[in-house]
Amino acid sequence: MSVNELGTKSQKADAAIDTATSTEQEVKIISGTEKILAGFKGDKSEAIPILQHVQQAFGYLPRLSMERIAQFVKVPECTLFGVATFYAQFKLTPTGKNLVRVCRGTACHVKGGSSILKEVEKRLGIKPGQNTPDMEYALETVACIGACALAPTMTINNEVHGEMTAKKVAEFLPDKMEEKHEKP
Amino acid sequence: MKSPSDNVFPKQVKVLVCQGTGCTSSKSEQVREALEAGVKAAGLKDVVIDFTGCHGFCQQGPIAVVEPDGIFYTHVKPEDAAEIVTSHLAGGKPVERLFYKDPVTGEPIASYHKIKFYMKQQRLILRNCGHINPEKIDDYIAADGYKALQKVLTTMTPKQVIDEVKKSGLRGRGGAGFSTGMKWELCAIEPGPKKYMICNADEGDPGAFMDRSTMEGDPHTVIEGLIIAAYAIGADEGYIYCRAEYPLAIKRLYIAIQQAEERGYLGEKICGTNFSMKIHVKEGAGAFVCGEETALMASIEGRRGMPSPRPPFPAQSGLWGKPSTINNVKSLASIPVILNKGADWYASIGTGKSKGTTVFALTGKIANSGLVEVPLGTKLRDIIFEIGGGIPKGKKFKAVQTGGPSGGCLPASFLNSSVDYETLAQAGSIIGSGGMVVLDEDNCMVDMAKYFLSFTQLESCGKCIQCRWGTKQMLDVLTDITNGKGRPGDIDFLLELSKAVAVGSRCGLGQTAPTPVISTIRYFRDEYEQHVKKHHCPAAVCKGIVTAPCTHTCPANVDVPRYIRAISDGDIEKGLDIIRERIPFPAVCGYVCVHPCESRCRRGQLDQAIAIRALKGYIYDNAKNKSPKPKTALPSGKKVAVVGSGPAGLTAAYYLAKLGGHAVTVYEALPQAGGMMRVGIPRYRLPADVLDAEINYIKAAGVTVMTGVKIATIEELKAQGYDAVFLAVGSHNGSKMRVPGEELPGVVDGVTMLRDVALGKKVTVGSRVAVVGGGNSAMDAARTSRRLGAKEVTVIYRRTQNEMPANAEEVQEAMEEGIKFEFLANPSRIDKNGSSLRITCVRMRLGDEIDESGRRRPVIMEGADFEKDFDTVIPAIGQVTDLSPAITVDRAKNGNITANPDTLVTNITGVYAGGDAVTGPDSVIRAIAAGRLAAESIDKYLGGKGNIEEKFTTPEKAEPYVAEEGGVEKRQEIPLANAATRVKNFNRTELGYTKALAETECSRCLRCDLEERDED
Repeated sequence: MSVNELGTKSQKADAAIDTATSTEQEVKIISGTEKILAGFKGDKSEAIPILQHVQQAFGYLPRLSMERIAQFVKVPECTLFGVATFYAQFKLTPTGKNLVRVCRGTACHVKGGSSILKEVEKRLGIKPGQNTPDMEYALETVACIGACALAPTMTINNEVHGEMTAKKVAEFLPDKMEEKHEKP
Repeated sequence: MKSPSDNVFPKQVKVLVCQGTGCTSSKSEQVREALEAGVKAAGLKDVVIDFTGCHGFCQQGPIAVVEPDGIFYTHVKPEDAAEIVTSHLAGGKPVERLFYKDPVTGEPIASYHKIKFYMKQQRLILRNCGHINPEKIDDYIAADGYKALQKVLTTMTPKQVIDEVKKSGLRGRGGAGFSTGMKWELCAIEPGPKKYMICNADEGDPGAFMDRSTMEGDPHTVIEGLIIAAYAIGADEGYIYCRAEYPLAIKRLYIAIQQAEERGYLGEKICGTNFSMKIHVKEGAGAFVCGEETALMASIEGRRGMPSPRPPFPAQSGLWGKPSTINNVKSLASIPVILNKGADWYASIGTGKSKGTTVFALTGKIANSGLVEVPLGTKLRDIIFEIGGGIPKGKKFKAVQTGGPSGGCLPASFLNSSVDYETLAQAGSIIGSGGMVVLDEDNCMVDMAKYFLSFTQLESCGKCIQCRWGTKQMLDVLTDITNGKGRPGDIDFLLELSKAVAVGSRCGLGQTAPTPVISTIRYFRDEYEQHVKKHHCPAAVCKGIVTAPCTHTCPANVDVPRYIRAISDGDIEKGLDIIRERIPFPAVCGYVCVHPCESRCRRGQLDQAIAIRALKGYIYDNAKNKSPKPKTALPSGKKVAVVGSGPAGLTAAYYLAKLGGHAVTVYEALPQAGGMMRVGIPRYRLPADVLDAEINYIKAAGVTVMTGVKIATIEELKAQGYDAVFLAVGSHNGSKMRVPGEELPGVVDGVTMLRDVALGKKVTVGSRVAVVGGGNSAMDAARTSRRLGAKEVTVIYRRTQNEMPANAEEVQEAMEEGIKFEFLANPSRIDKNGSSLRITCVRMRLGDEIDESGRRRPVIMEGADFEKDFDTVIPAIGQVTDLSPAITVDRAKNGNITANPDTLVTNITGVYAGGDAVTGPDSVIRAIAAGRLAAESIDKYLGGKGNIEEKFTTPEKAEPYVAEEGGVEKRQEIPLANAATRVKNFNRTELGYTKALAETECSRCLRCDLEERDED
């Protein structure tokens, strides 16, 4: 990956240390993680599926969780972090509740996908890789959803929306910028 | 034609609703539920509602097919279910409004057996997709499922299986195209006991979704193929590595594996033999590089997906160090077919070294977008035009990108080529995963290269510095180029860097990342150079260079959005000034320009382009102050001679006199000035008084025009003290048809005829006129003939209306005036027949081959000749430049003067040339642009700065434009004089916009010039 991305990734790792602050939260994370680990054997090859389950459960990979998983699959923590930061699916900081993914695949690009992304960015007030301040929405781009005949496409929580237009974006996403200005 | 699901429910009517990812996103689940409810309520006993996987035609979704007739319903909404139940299922009358409509003819087609998109395909890999329920193993078994596996396990040895697959000629469909049989053999010979068989279902190529459809629509075929492969190589454990972005495919794979285990096709003692196997599904986690086999295996092992060096190859040391084989979904899906039907049968399909079928994902600028499975060796033009239905909106084909980010582009010259591994490799591309993205004239090839590089740059694992940094460097250079910051040498630098990146990278990602760049430079270098040298994007795409595509595309960069705003603001005079800031011919352009601006208008992507030319004409018609501006520059003491008073010559003269202060004399051989504006364009398009006024405006800038003077040599001009000469003599000699009888009286070349009419000579054409040709000149000749009294005018053209180069509006107006068109005909001889001329024409048909212009080449139909009698025959098939050899400038073989494209200088110092004389027949606006360039160039040569910028207006603060909700207006057509009366005279055909029409049309403008400039 590029140097710029390396920088962002290590920032992500630092932020992960600060996530679990209260004891209640810690208990939730630990018990949730144990529940997931109960379904596995403890083999190194299970690292990625375990991370996927934890990502699914918490919306990100909490530091406490990572420590426990590293123990369980018997790899050094740094190796596990190396795996987590390699794959685009894994997040080390909490993400917004609703995941919006705009496709930047070839067919979508050729049919104007970049204007859909601009419209989504405008509507939510964030750029890809960020969350809205109220943590309701997270925005990502994805290389290809696989619905190329319906280009340009985007997904919201894995639900595919095809033949998008800038106007249709308004039907699916609230105007976060408007809400921001409305706040007292 | 039998459907595979016929065996499942032989007598019933089945309604199969697609539940692939595409259709599900358009609510096909609700469609199915509504149909189930409707059928139950109506008590229809013999009707079964079920769901299938992806049909591969997602753009038409949601799709519902009614068997056994194969009725193909498209865009089905849940609300349509009631009508389908009542009208079709109960009443036996299919619902026509839901039929598929042919994108070219608009004809509704009931059954998929008759839909061209499907008819021309040979679906082997996709044989069951759209026909069976992918979550019911019995559907698969009824469609010959698991027969091949039984045959293999009970009657064949692993070696026999490998030999059969080798014989079939199957090559890896993941992209590399290595012989599948041989790949298996290399693993089979390795010692066991532990080996792994892996299916690569990571399909990361953007634009490819055939693996997804196969897994969603027919997961068992992949599993059966995988088990057979495992048997062949000696593995007892398998993995399917599927990318996480395909949740539905993963779900269906899990279900299928479980069902296969329940039926004994997986697990211990399969089919009662000693062979055992279990399959795991591993989800990818969002890394394109994991499609590379060593990275994929690392990912299965739980490590970072970084490729490792080969050797050792997976066959010797793969997953956890054990011998492993990795095959793509499509390769494995082909295996049951090969073993059921035999290797010889499979090898009979395809070509030379590329056997069998493969699946292409045909997307982009194409009418029928979807999955296309055809034999290898099919011609590209058949895939794009026959199956794909061609390019929508009448746009021109530009290129097709094959093989995703690892592949290259194929321009129009490859349309007649066969699509196979070898041909594409030679062309600098690959078949790859099968992605085929069609690009048209509105796509920029530099932008495409940048797009692909931004993708591979992001997905680079970072291990190899050439890939990690090299792709970043290349992306930076491409970004600069698309932002108008390209430097000389950038293009060659990209090629040099491409070599380094390809050679220095360990895996396929880095090795092929430069391919899109190399390929686009190879076939579209000129487009790159325009970006670098002229900051011009011909497709008007690159946002860093283009704000308003209309202004950008206009050869003279007239500020269209500003003058449109002037109309909306009610300031017509300002509008005229804005136009005059770039061109000295506002009326001519407003009346007759070929409007390249409209072809790129962004509104045209929504519905129809803005009528930019008509609005320009409206401004001229309604401006009160049409009078010229006073001369400004001080005399320079230099003299310039311009030869030819057409748009190129007069434009150059205007700027040289007014801004350069030079003493300019324009020499015109004909008795009247104006060039083709006078003698080529008829008066009903451009009235004489308007043209005179435009020419007077130019004369008022200090230009002397001498008519009736033909210049014989450059020397005579030099002798008169001219410091520079501009040759703008145009292209005035009509091309010959080269048929017998062309010299007969009554055969009058079109250019000559139009010139004679324009100069006031008496021209008689008789009653029956034939015009040969399909361009604007042919339309001019035909419509002029009507106005000269011809009762029957026929235009003979060798192709069809779609291929005519003439402006669509000219053709339309000609037809309104009663002019007949004989398409697909070409004269072969002309003979005298009494007092008439008899033309013998051959009949043509559009052949299959595509020529360099991207159109199908017409082919003569033998024995279909016909004859017709006329009084006059007017060939209008083209023009050539015919400059006397006494003028000693270099010229090409076709007579066009050779001039430097950046400065317009000829081989003689101080002598310049531009316009039709250099390019061959083109348009007024391009000649004007040439005149501007000549003026800059000559002024610099004469010691000036070459600055021809004119400012007549002060820039206004632009108000952000707020689009109104609703009320989307169609393009306002310009009113025309009544067709019956207008053919009796040469008065102007166009009546011009009224204020209301003009203002409505202006309100349609999207104000692209106000868009935020984004440099990314």
